[in-house]
Amino acid sequence: MLYRNSIGVVVLAAVFVTAVANARAHDETKYPDWSGQWLRTGGIQWDPSKPIGRGQQAPLTPEYQAIFEASLADQTAGGVGNDARYSCFPVGMPRLMSVIFPMEFIFAPKITYVLFENNMPRRIYTDGRSWPKDPEPTFAGYSIGKWIDEDGDSRFDVLEVETRYMKGPRTFEGTGLPLHKDNQTVVKEKFYLDKSNADILHDEITTIDHALTRPWTVTKNFRRERSPSWLENDCSEDNHHITIGKENYFLSADGYLMPAKKGQAPPDLRYFKQSLR
Amino acid sequence: MRSPIGSIALAAAMIFAATSTQAFDETKYPDWSGQWRRPAGVGNQWDTSKPPRQGQAPLTAEYQAIYEANLKDQAAGGQGTDPTYTCIPDGMPRAMNVIFPMEIVIQPNITHIMIEYLSMLRRIYTDARDWPKNAEPSFMGYSIGRWIDEDGRGRYDVLEVETRNLKGPRSFDASGIPLHADNQTVVKERIYLDKVDSNVLHDEVTTIDNALTRPWTVTKNYHRERKAVWVEAICAEGNQHVRIGTENYMLSADGYLMPAKKDQAPPDLRYFKQTRK
Repeated sequence: MLYRNSIGVVVLAAVFVTAVANARAHDETKYPDWSGQWLRTGGIQWDPSKPIGRGQQAPLTPEYQAIFEASLADQTAGGVGNDARYSCFPVGMPRLMSVIFPMEFIFAPKITYVLFENNMPRRIYTDGRSWPKDPEPTFAGYSIGKWIDEDGDSRFDVLEVETRYMKGPRTFEGTGLPLHKDNQTVVKEKFYLDKSNADILHDEITTIDHALTRPWTVTKNFRRERSPSWLENDCSEDNHHITIGKENYFLSADGYLMPAKKGQAPPDLRYFKQSLR
Repeated sequence: MRSPIGSIALAAAMIFAATSTQAFDETKYPDWSGQWRRPAGVGNQWDTSKPPRQGQAPLTAEYQAIYEANLKDQAAGGQGTDPTYTCIPDGMPRAMNVIFPMEIVIQPNITHIMIEYLSMLRRIYTDARDWPKNAEPSFMGYSIGRWIDEDGRGRYDVLEVETRNLKGPRSFDASGIPLHADNQTVVKERIYLDKVDSNVLHDEVTTIDNALTRPWTVTKNYHRERKAVWVEAICAEGNQHVRIGTENYMLSADGYLMPAKKDQAPPDLRYFKQTRK
């Protein structure tokens, strides 16, 4: 069980304020070593301790359970359901933290950056700022963090983060497990290294969302690669999904439009000259 | 002018920093914090000292012909040799057009350049490593940098970078100025603050490419916004281009497929049931 040592917190809070006031005197020895490349240890589902899809036993409201069931049915029929990632939209928070492709942390005095191979970076502001007024919502949201020295050894060991101001569409995972379309999601995270293995990082993630009957907490675990190779994973580079209007089609291997579902109608070609159709 | 004494002293400091990530002395590095933007009124063209499409790129005869054909295609409504309409990354060197803002985060072993578009992330390794063997090519390439204290004041002021191992398709800008299909491009950069205005950053970019008759050097200038607001620029969100096979079509405002060029034939629907056409 993690606990907070209040003396350590006070001492490091003073250090932290000093660091914030002088960006040119960033003392890295006050921060944990989260260098290297972090890879997921489980599958691509949201709660790695449970099977994907219905097996997640997500605490959805009846309305959103029905939306989820419809998504699953559509995917069974060849559709994409609620999952917007097929058109290369960012997955946004909290799904970003499924870390489908590897991630990296950078600690700067006022910001912790979380970089991904196939998504925009997260900027977690740790300079004691308040929430901005009327920020532009984004898929990754606006994140404010706080470094904590829980074990009182004068070195931060926990990063607590709260993320708000997200936009959609977003889902928890590729099955279309939905978040509420009002985009009022709040995500609270607690990052820390494993006590017995410094090459394991934990992220306890609690999602508060109107699609849920209660806050939903899952723990993600990442393993460290200390000699990383980084690749680009560009969703658009070889994406065979084609969206026309509200329909998802597929691009065949030989470059022709094809149905994604059995019996799917072809696109309406009303804007092409009749003689060319 | 480069001061040898200053360079030697800082080289020693750099080696020490490279061996100890916990002892990063930020006072040895320039302050490039904040958000960097294209200057107001500067367009998207590669050589910003010349009007768009009049950059007089030193193309070989073969690639000049490719460029001319591209301009003709674009005039007819096509995309020519600009591949980014499908939301693949600009790649190097075009990423340094900085169409959307850029952030530079300096660490002892790596300088990260994050561009607010298409997850374009550059890692510039400054730990004196060699070129990797058999690395996977990427749009952003593999970059090795070297910090220099040119004015001998005991603080680095220039970052020299070389980038190799690129993949395509890439062009210099949206006008479709081509890079060679062999992807043997080498990009050399010198990044430094303006001597008079520390809120101006210069990047002298020299591109060596088999599509060019000689190395082509242009200087990019960026203006600093110290109170940055970051917004996600998501190419896939609202992209009206639809690529089917080798053809580019457009999505109409009311969600129908439409031709991008006059008299463009509709897509071949051979994989749809004939009765549904």
